[in-house]
Amino acid sequence: MSPPGRSRPPAFEEVDHTADRALVVRGRSLEELFRNAACGMNRLLGFRPEPRGERQTRRIDLEAIDPESLLVSWLSELAYFAETESLGFERFEFERFSPTALSAVGFGRKAAEMEKAVKAVTYHNLAIRREGGQYSATIVFDV
Amino acid sequence: MEIRQIAPFLFEIPRSHRADMRVPARFYADEALAAAARADRSLEQLINTATLPGVVGHVLAMPDMHQGYGFPIGGVVATEPPEGVISPGGVGYDINCGVRLLAGRMTAREVSDHLEALASALFSDCPSGVGRGGDLRLSGAELDRVMGEGARWAVRRGLGSAEDLEHTEEGGCLEGADPGEVSDRARSRGRDQMGTLGAGNHFIEVDRVERIEDEALARRFGLFPDQIVVQIHCGSRGLGHQVCTDAVNRLQQAARAYGYRLPDRELVCAPVESPEGRAYLAAMKAAANYAFANRQVLAHRIRGSFERVLGPAGIPFQLFQLYDIAHNIAKMETHEIEGRRRTLCVHRKGATRAFGPGAPELPAAFRDLGQPVLVPGSMGTSSWVLVGTAEAMRQTFGSSCHGAGRMLSRHQAKRNVQGAGLRRALEENGIRVRAGSLAGLAEEAPAAYKDVDRVVDIVHGAGIARRVARLVPLAVIKG
Repeated sequence: MSPPGRSRPPAFEEVDHTADRALVVRGRSLEELFRNAACGMNRLLGFRPEPRGERQTRRIDLEAIDPESLLVSWLSELAYFAETESLGFERFEFERFSPTALSAVGFGRKAAEMEKAVKAVTYHNLAIRREGGQYSATIVFDV
Repeated sequence: MEIRQIAPFLFEIPRSHRADMRVPARFYADEALAAAARADRSLEQLINTATLPGVVGHVLAMPDMHQGYGFPIGGVVATEPPEGVISPGGVGYDINCGVRLLAGRMTAREVSDHLEALASALFSDCPSGVGRGGDLRLSGAELDRVMGEGARWAVRRGLGSAEDLEHTEEGGCLEGADPGEVSDRARSRGRDQMGTLGAGNHFIEVDRVERIEDEALARRFGLFPDQIVVQIHCGSRGLGHQVCTDAVNRLQQAARAYGYRLPDRELVCAPVESPEGRAYLAAMKAAANYAFANRQVLAHRIRGSFERVLGPAGIPFQLFQLYDIAHNIAKMETHEIEGRRRTLCVHRKGATRAFGPGAPELPAAFRDLGQPVLVPGSMGTSSWVLVGTAEAMRQTFGSSCHGAGRMLSRHQAKRNVQGAGLRRALEENGIRVRAGSLAGLAEEAPAAYKDVDRVVDIVHGAGIARRVARLVPLAVIKG
């Protein structure tokens, strides 16, 4: 909950980066940060689902050496599905979530349109910060 | 920040600037571009590369430098084994992104009535845009051959000639590629993208030779005034992106194990001669070969478009290849430092090889001249053909600029420029535009880039490449 009288900062927002695209992503938990990062990347991709597209699921199991690596792997996985299957995810169920491992099922649909491609998710100056009960990270994408 | 000018167009940040720098950082600029470099984080990123283990000489940035992630775009960094490292971030995600220039025997005047048809034919023959695969779906074994043989694979299939290979950096094939080091993910991204342009800043452009600056060199390169030439700018597509993603991820752990303290995790690296370094180099070469093959297939398609449109009109449609160069790559090269020939791993990220006369790596046709250096400008502005110099061998490990260099973020460009208006403005200037996405077009607006003529003035003035010919666009094809 955000404090009364003060609006919560957005779940994600684009910030300027000369070469590429960058998002500031926030969440009240690491898990929420990961969900919001996925939503933010959908926005960057210009993902618009097929209105009557069949719902599809994909299982995602990842392990990493730290939360930042897990975040890069997570988004890289979603970018992979976007490129190879034109598939975007609208909802996730996490069966397991820790700072270094996750198992999730993504529920998504084929895109009617993907405006952009994300070539890669970078580690550039990537650090997940926790401040006042909120997690945040700035993620630079190569587009 | 202490920055001193040490020669015309050359600035240096001394090693004493930051305790972790192992060598000085140098960059090429005039006053205005130096101010632009101070305005973003490109100099800080350049300084970060000066901390890499085994770095030698000095790290460099070309005048088209701008902020990247990890390395700055326009960066040139050489390291020396055994301590010297290879860093996937120093090559970038689009491994062997590069430029190929085809040149015709016909003039712009001769083809002027056919440019609309030519632009449409190129747009339909060369798949481009987000999610667009091509009609070449490669089997696993065929993909292995592409990664092992590069452009030679395409020529063997009849999609080009031995002359094309001769006029490609490394003959269109880096030896030592190992497809076995390329992940299944990377393979599946690359399987149906052969012969496709992609999106972003990649393009095919039909140009006219607007001005010859060096007649003798232009003649040797086969260039003449009003000539039609074609630039192809693209790389290794999703396969290369995934090879880099896999390596940056894998090396996060390796860099810790080697005890490296790096200022940015995107700079992760391993000794060139370590198992991790060798594995990345072999995979990077496989992706680079995919890119050489990709540009070869696109060149073949472009030749087909020219034949179909110009042939029936009785206009000579043949296109010969001037050269094909990489501007995102790491290679083992021999350079002289402090009077001694040393084998170095030269990273060029958004920088072009610009070898001068006498380099044994150059094809016979250019060995006494220096190599053609291809510098595409921003959309709708000019581009340049330059020549590499002996001075580049002394100053920059034989490197020069690769383009205009971005000034505004894509986000800013889109805020400032409307795609439809930009297309109209380009067309009013006689430039045909075929683009899959108007938003994508806006991101690549000329206003988002530095002035390429100014960038070229600097490399010419510094002597690291010399002007040969200026090109102006007639048709732009973008994803």
